[in-house]
Amino acid sequence: MRLQYLLTCLIFLACSCHHSADQTHRGSLFQAGETSRLTIEEKTGFTRLVIRDPWQNAGGAELEYYLLPRNSEIPAGIREEQVIRVPVSRMIIMSTTHLAMLRALDATDLLVGMAGPQIAYDSLIPDAVARGIVRDVGYEGTLNSELIVSLDPDVLVAYGVTAPSAGQLGRLSSMGVRVVYDADYLEEDPLARCRWIKLFGLLTGKQAMADSLFKDVSARYDDLAERVRNSVHERPSVLLGAPWEDVWYISPSNSYIGRLIADAGGDYLFSDLKENNSVPFSVEAVFKRAADADIWINPGTSENMKELAATDHRLATLPVCTQGEVWNNRKRITGEGGNDYWESAVVRPDLLLMDFVSIIHPELLPEYTPYYYLKLE
Amino acid sequence: MMMKGHAKAIPLVITGLLAAMTVFFIADILIGSTDMSASEVLRSLFGKGTPQGEIIVMQFRLPKAITALFAGAAMSVSGLIMQTLFRNPLAGPDVLGISSGAGLGVALTVLAFSPLFSFATTSAFAGWSLILAACAGAGAVMMVILAVSMRMKDIMTVLIVGLLLASAISAVVSLLQYFSNETALRTYVIWTMGNLGNISWQQLRALVLAAVAGLSMAFMMVKPLNAMLMGETFSRTVGVRMKRTRVLLLVAASILAGSVTAFCGPLAFIGVAVPHIARLLLGTTDHRILVPGTAVTGALTLLASDIISTAPGGGHIIPVNTVTSLIGIPVVLWIILGRKGIGRRF
Repeated sequence: MRLQYLLTCLIFLACSCHHSADQTHRGSLFQAGETSRLTIEEKTGFTRLVIRDPWQNAGGAELEYYLLPRNSEIPAGIREEQVIRVPVSRMIIMSTTHLAMLRALDATDLLVGMAGPQIAYDSLIPDAVARGIVRDVGYEGTLNSELIVSLDPDVLVAYGVTAPSAGQLGRLSSMGVRVVYDADYLEEDPLARCRWIKLFGLLTGKQAMADSLFKDVSARYDDLAERVRNSVHERPSVLLGAPWEDVWYISPSNSYIGRLIADAGGDYLFSDLKENNSVPFSVEAVFKRAADADIWINPGTSENMKELAATDHRLATLPVCTQGEVWNNRKRITGEGGNDYWESAVVRPDLLLMDFVSIIHPELLPEYTPYYYLKLE
Repeated sequence: MMMKGHAKAIPLVITGLLAAMTVFFIADILIGSTDMSASEVLRSLFGKGTPQGEIIVMQFRLPKAITALFAGAAMSVSGLIMQTLFRNPLAGPDVLGISSGAGLGVALTVLAFSPLFSFATTSAFAGWSLILAACAGAGAVMMVILAVSMRMKDIMTVLIVGLLLASAISAVVSLLQYFSNETALRTYVIWTMGNLGNISWQQLRALVLAAVAGLSMAFMMVKPLNAMLMGETFSRTVGVRMKRTRVLLLVAASILAGSVTAFCGPLAFIGVAVPHIARLLLGTTDHRILVPGTAVTGALTLLASDIISTAPGGGHIIPVNTVTSLIGIPVVLWIILGRKGIGRRF
């Protein structure tokens, strides 16, 4: 087991040192669609979906799905296993972000199963689980395949960690379960991530609603980002994340959160780091850089300064801590480990950007109280 | 007990090892994962550096180097005691399940009772929760082993019970991992990779105290340890009270391994490899020389591993456990393949 960790670690190091990622530049709403991993093509009588790079390091792999109305004939050249009949009436999801997308479309009644429902922030889920309407299907790697098959879902929406052939999901597909990969969590752009709501719109037959939701959110996001670009002259330096023992996994700047910081008028402390994955740094190295940080965002699970000092006493000596500019995404959490930041924020990047702007440039939103973020006292 | 021709070389080797240990200790403070000139490090050591430099040296590098020094010595001597006690060259601090016990304590806290864990981080135990959990786990296993060893005459039964216990515990830990979410899993996996760098001075004081206590016990037991090499029957004839000695040795080994595992995670491999390196370098099986020799060799091995772990440069590090194993495995292979009949030393 330990050898496995060692190998993983070495591979991880090797990958993170040598492959620099494609840089994503988004200037307008239109481009958000182009850089996305999700391509939607409307054809006569059906919709073709192409999902590019559905899991980490997929090397350009593409998955193809055809969404067909119920009872319609399958056009020539399309294999039956690629067909999903829409609108679906029974759905299993693997992530809380999928739940948020269903909630935004007012389609949670289609849900029959979910991975880890106990960590859902949505207050209606525990009740649905207690009443047996939504079943806990287990986590990726420990999925209850028999339960999934017996729930007879029209579609199972998964998020890809590895290639499907390697895991249980591949086996489920071969058993006739339609598995669709939602790669939203791999998107490097908050709007590209939100755009995956269109997938749920197509699956649930609420395409128009999904499109209009995405359009509104994008417009609000772009307006605010534009306002920040035009009015911000100084970009405060932002430290992100927290260490695990003596390792600090640093998110690259070409990541979802790096993008948010930049759009909110901040200067990410590791803006020079452009990689595909998080990169492990020593705490000492991050500490040295963090001396210049003006704001610290997402310091692990800490909800106050005392907890932060307990994770690593040295970090509490950083100027950013003594100035009190430490913010965490733990304002909306449940006792069971649910956090709305990992749930509804995926469909509300505009709200998330408002949080970031109010933290980094409070002068731009003086009346606003962050929705997902709290300040560590 | 001692190889011809080596007797005279021993003081020289010990001096060499001590000198190497000192050099590595200083090097470990001078070489960190960030760039800092030697003069800046020295200024910071004497309170005349920049505020940031002083924190890096006094809160990062110095406690880490001291941790490596004591953890390396403690783990290696614990391994030496186990190898002599069980007369088995493959024994180490983890054979009796002490490291696994500590791991179970941590796994239960991180994986199974995460609400308890979050409570622990907010209460007065902040920063100590994993350490206390590991101590409790290691202590519980030690109690079982001691109970068995007081009942059983045959030391091999104790070894087998320890191995079974370790396997059972790792099965429980696997089960906990199986049902855990990614965050908890990552916390646990990173703990298993070993870490020298997140220890406060307060925690370091506790670690040093435990290590000194365990090492002192080992130093006081060198004669019974020597007698044990000759077998239990021989030991009895020369007046060693077997059960009492065995219990004391187990306590010493457990304190050493348990405390280090609690503070630094499982650095087990060093405990298996270093006693062999020390035997090879010193050319003796006399514990009066071997115990201090192993302690110094262990300290310098872990210090060297810590220096190598900063090798990637640019602020990146590799887990110290992986370095220890990557250095240790070739060394042990070299010893086993190069010196025929390692078993005759036990």
